[in-house]
Amino acid sequence: MSIPVGHYQYDPIDRDFLQARIAEFEGQVQRRLDGTLSEDEFKPLRLMNGLYLQLHAYMLRVAIPYGILDSRQLRKLGEIARRYDRDYGHFTTRQNIQFNWIRLEDTPAILRELAEVDMHAIQTSGNCIRNVTADEYAGAAADELVDPRVHAEILRQWSTLHPEFTFLPRKFKIAISGSPNDRVAARFHDIGILARPGADGAPVFRIFVGGGLGRTPIIGEELFDSVREEHLLATLEAILRVYNARGRRDNIYKARIKILVQAIGVEAYREAVEAELAQMDLERYRLTPEAVAAIRSRFAVPQLEAPADADAVLAQQRRDDPLFDRWVRSNTHVHRDPGHIIATVSLKPAGGIPGDATSAQIARLADLADAYSFGEIRITHLQNVVLGHVRKDRLRDLWLGLSEVGLAEANIGLIGDIVACPGLDYCALANARSIPIAQKLGARFADTALQAEIGALRINISGCINACGHHHAGHIGLLGVDKRGEEFFQLTVGGRAENGAAIGTILGAALPEDETVDAIARLVDCYLGRRESGETFLDTLTRLGHEPFREAAYETV
Amino acid sequence: MKRPVRLEPGQKLVLTANRLLDGRTVWWCADGTWNLHIGCAALLDADEAEALLSRASEQAQRDGVVGVYDTAVQAVVPPEPVTVREKIRAHGPTVHPEFAVETEQ
Repeated sequence: MSIPVGHYQYDPIDRDFLQARIAEFEGQVQRRLDGTLSEDEFKPLRLMNGLYLQLHAYMLRVAIPYGILDSRQLRKLGEIARRYDRDYGHFTTRQNIQFNWIRLEDTPAILRELAEVDMHAIQTSGNCIRNVTADEYAGAAADELVDPRVHAEILRQWSTLHPEFTFLPRKFKIAISGSPNDRVAARFHDIGILARPGADGAPVFRIFVGGGLGRTPIIGEELFDSVREEHLLATLEAILRVYNARGRRDNIYKARIKILVQAIGVEAYREAVEAELAQMDLERYRLTPEAVAAIRSRFAVPQLEAPADADAVLAQQRRDDPLFDRWVRSNTHVHRDPGHIIATVSLKPAGGIPGDATSAQIARLADLADAYSFGEIRITHLQNVVLGHVRKDRLRDLWLGLSEVGLAEANIGLIGDIVACPGLDYCALANARSIPIAQKLGARFADTALQAEIGALRINISGCINACGHHHAGHIGLLGVDKRGEEFFQLTVGGRAENGAAIGTILGAALPEDETVDAIARLVDCYLGRRESGETFLDTLTRLGHEPFREAAYETV
Repeated sequence: MKRPVRLEPGQKLVLTANRLLDGRTVWWCADGTWNLHIGCAALLDADEAEALLSRASEQAQRDGVVGVYDTAVQAVVPPEPVTVREKIRAHGPTVHPEFAVETEQ
């Protein structure tokens, strides 16, 4: 039997664990329905299984470990959307998928269906180590130094049901990349890991701690520069132990590791971790080459073969078709194999809902993945989909297939590629709606030629201070706030999650919802009018400072 | 302790919750049932709402609802919630008009 490319292949132990977990949750659901469990008792149990109660219905968040799926799994997600939800799913900023219209009594059946394809909803909620995220181009990008997926899977297995870390002071997010170009926002995670080859060729890991967004945005600080592979788990274990023991539990808003690191300082945190390591049985936590190899063996590798003229065929097709050429410019990335290319499928149609896909689109994506990318799909933390290994001479056929289901938008990394949380249309925590403002901005800048002219410009929108839309990290960020029952948006500029991570600066007072799109259009006009040759929005902002942009945003206020 | 409710002129209170089985937003009606449609909601004065809220919370499991609370509405027909959040709960997500609660039986 061929095994799926791209992710870890489950073994019988993994499958037995999932079945036992579902049976346990089924019993808990039954006890909730018959009143044996109160809502207060049931809530932490359902959250451990990814089930939230939102404004209109239950929401089930399904884990996509390190963002990678096979076509069989994606097809199953589409079937769940069609059968149990309202025919669509929402891909999140943590590489997961959410279903917004779930019935409590259907949940065990849905989890059984997910288990049929080795999926679950564990570690998508609660104060545990959440689903580990990874570079969406892992194992494919030309600039990659170390494929982070094997270690992401090791972290998944280490963290799932970890007896010490199931009731942490607060949720805990880990991201890992093996590229010098940070595509995982490593410095905005509780732990960010950047892998690179060491002197002996074995990977070493640069580890940041204490980053995060939310109501207290903080850029993570480097804890260690070169952790050897054999000590990776011990080091993470020690970092978590220090946090678990010393993190605050008296105030939910001060419970994340970032607050602890800021309170005691990164030097003191490092000393505490080293002290913990000194008294640990390191041999017990040693990650041996054999253990890594055993995990690696459960990943299938794509057989990358392409005709010698694949590159020339693509070049000719680009010359012949300007629309295709525009899509290739914005939506592809250089593959490590010269005959292949990485294609990013935008889930940001002009005027559409960022991250949403219908069951028909999901099914079509699965078919296209089978036809063009070894049946492998990646979900990005920017709410798009990546097909990682497309033969260059077949890229146009893929693009045509995507066009048939409205998935050929040419806007990756451009102003139309808006990141937005579900906001007040769904979320019980939100203060303002994120999606409508994203739709208005998407419609305002719908012209793909204009988007290309504007160039790299990322907009992130959050409906509340919890910042699921990562507004602090947006080149332009929008934070929805409630003022006496009315929706307002606070604008920030200059945030970035990639190399040189920065937190956006607030431009001024929050604007009424109906003035926000015009204000952003004026920001863009300010940039276009004052940029120098070759400058991106961030370049111009850096050169000029915030004042011209502040004046532009508040011109008519 | 529940904070005192301050109603503006022309406002009343209604009781709302989510249904246990499917999480749907429901509103308490004068006949003692819970309904998807806010048009059926009983309009209550503050004192009346406090007593009914206490009773409805005690009966929540039996009635198949979760998280009972009161919220202010404009006392018009049908009642219109005062806050954006409750308007969205009453009518459905604004980004999917096809899911408008009003279109459901």
